[in-house]
Amino acid sequence: MSDLVVRCQSISRTYQDDTVPVRALVDVDFEVARGEFVSLAGPSGSGKSTLLNVIGGLDRPDEGSVEVDGVLLNDLSESELSDLRLEKMGFVFQAYNLIPVLSALENVEFTMQLQGVSSAERHSRSAAMLEELGLTGMADRRPGEMSGGQQQRVAVARAVVTHPVLLLADEPSANLDSKTTEELLKLLQRLNEDHGVTIVTATHDPLVMSYAKRQVRLRDGEIIEDSALQAA
Amino acid sequence: MPLKLLAALSVRNLFRHKRRNLMLLIAIVVAVAGVVVTNGLIRGMQFDMREAAVANLTGHIKVLAPGYLDDPNIEKSFELAPGWQPDVPDAELEGWAARIRIPAVIMSERETRGVQFVGVDPTQENISFLGDVDIVGEGISDAEDGRVLIGVELARQLETDVGRRLVLITQGLDGRNREAGFRIAGLYDAEGTALEKQFVFTGVTALQNMVEAPVVTEVSIKLTDELKEGQVKNSLSGFFSTLDVKNWQELEPQAAAMFIYVDSAILIWFLVIMGALIFGLVNTLITAVMERIKEFGMLRAVGMKSSSVIVQVVLESTVIMLVGVALGVAVGWLLATQWLGDGIDLSQWAQGVEMAGMRSVLTPLILLEDIVLVTGLSLFFGVLAALYPAWRAIKIKPLEALRR
Repeated sequence: MSDLVVRCQSISRTYQDDTVPVRALVDVDFEVARGEFVSLAGPSGSGKSTLLNVIGGLDRPDEGSVEVDGVLLNDLSESELSDLRLEKMGFVFQAYNLIPVLSALENVEFTMQLQGVSSAERHSRSAAMLEELGLTGMADRRPGEMSGGQQQRVAVARAVVTHPVLLLADEPSANLDSKTTEELLKLLQRLNEDHGVTIVTATHDPLVMSYAKRQVRLRDGEIIEDSALQAA
Repeated sequence: MPLKLLAALSVRNLFRHKRRNLMLLIAIVVAVAGVVVTNGLIRGMQFDMREAAVANLTGHIKVLAPGYLDDPNIEKSFELAPGWQPDVPDAELEGWAARIRIPAVIMSERETRGVQFVGVDPTQENISFLGDVDIVGEGISDAEDGRVLIGVELARQLETDVGRRLVLITQGLDGRNREAGFRIAGLYDAEGTALEKQFVFTGVTALQNMVEAPVVTEVSIKLTDELKEGQVKNSLSGFFSTLDVKNWQELEPQAAAMFIYVDSAILIWFLVIMGALIFGLVNTLITAVMERIKEFGMLRAVGMKSSSVIVQVVLESTVIMLVGVALGVAVGWLLATQWLGDGIDLSQWAQGVEMAGMRSVLTPLILLEDIVLVTGLSLFFGVLAALYPAWRAIKIKPLEALRR
């Protein structure tokens, strides 16, 4: 198996904003090795979220190729992309995006249900994950009954409980206070270091960047700085 | 596809907007209950008309001499072998009757009228309206009885009464007139006045003696199961090869046409009601989908397939429809059987009701096949109504949905 989890080659993406074309990504080459914790940073409109979405198969580049864990995304249909996201990726969104009618435990079980994992295994893995994230007492609570930090931790649990190859987090701290953000980052750091989860996060929060092992900065759709390259 | 998960999500989602979904549920219950009750009333009318047509001396099948229907007179008659019985198993045969039915002139001391003079064996007439009419005085006692039973309305027109004598003139088999006096045994009170004005009854043997011929003009057969009608008709046609054997649809074409029309009317009425309901259902589902578009985006982002999203929306519609239909059928059934169980009295519109061939009390009739139709089509429409909102839910790409 390749040691690269993500390989983007010469990818470009242009949006049509009303009548004005916006170049979100311009000829970007980007790779992520297994076990890395990478932060994509930059001001609004720099292209960090677009790069994250292209890697996650939620958006398609106009040019260039994207591979995740050796699978070329360009040729996949929407249905195949769905399967790939389900099997290989975990997502943490800015707005948590938990299912409001499900309890914390059920939310964590959700993606495993889509994968067809047995009920007993789902339950034990979800309960263990909630315990590891300090949410044991929250298992039966619905998202509306939890704080933002608790909801985001449940979202992280949902994303990693399936043992994804790649965890993608888009502005995970945007709705959290600094204390809760720090708790979340320690959690991501632990998942990365103890469990080897590969993490790519898009953020403009310096605190998040400080926890990542590798910082990549974008501006106007281009990578202008990559700490990994500087170190080399 | 994780159907159990989708079903659980669908049911819980229905409780997210309790008031809105309760209103929708009430609309479904009212519509379905309304359809069940009106279908019941229409079915009641339909079967009432058929029963009246069959009971109007017609039966399900009738054996007649050729040409009798075009020119009903004693010349279009036939002899029935002594001891003849229809070749129909007892369980399938409600009854049969051999009659003479010929035109006649009836005269009292004051008035004269044209009537149908019918010779019957009263023991066989449990298959016609004569079997359950109210009688003032006495009925015809047997086939030999030489008295007459006339309608209340005819007695009023002839200005006569029970015990008085009437003269009847009709034609004999030889073409010559026969005239005889008859004492009135009783007056029958049928549903509506048309029958009372039309039919005068006497014993079949008495009438055969009057026309001096041991003949009958019709054999009427009523079955317990109308579905056996074709089989029995074929059997009779084989036996009475020189006679006409006709079913009630051929003898009462207007009633038969109405019977078929009512089947279509029930379906059209149902489609109109459900069509109106579907607009409400689609509207509510679109609102529910658009409110949750970000959630659908997340579901698809984490790997739920478009087909699963469609199934989830369809299930939501189906579940609320299923509950609404079950409650609607129960409410409709209760209304039809309890509230309207004794029927609706239409006697104040007696003339119109009689013209339509109905009885004066309209009783709803709930058929299992109608309940199955209402349930099945409602669920079908529930699925149909969900398809457009479901399509809206998957049309938006996950990324666009998440950005909202």
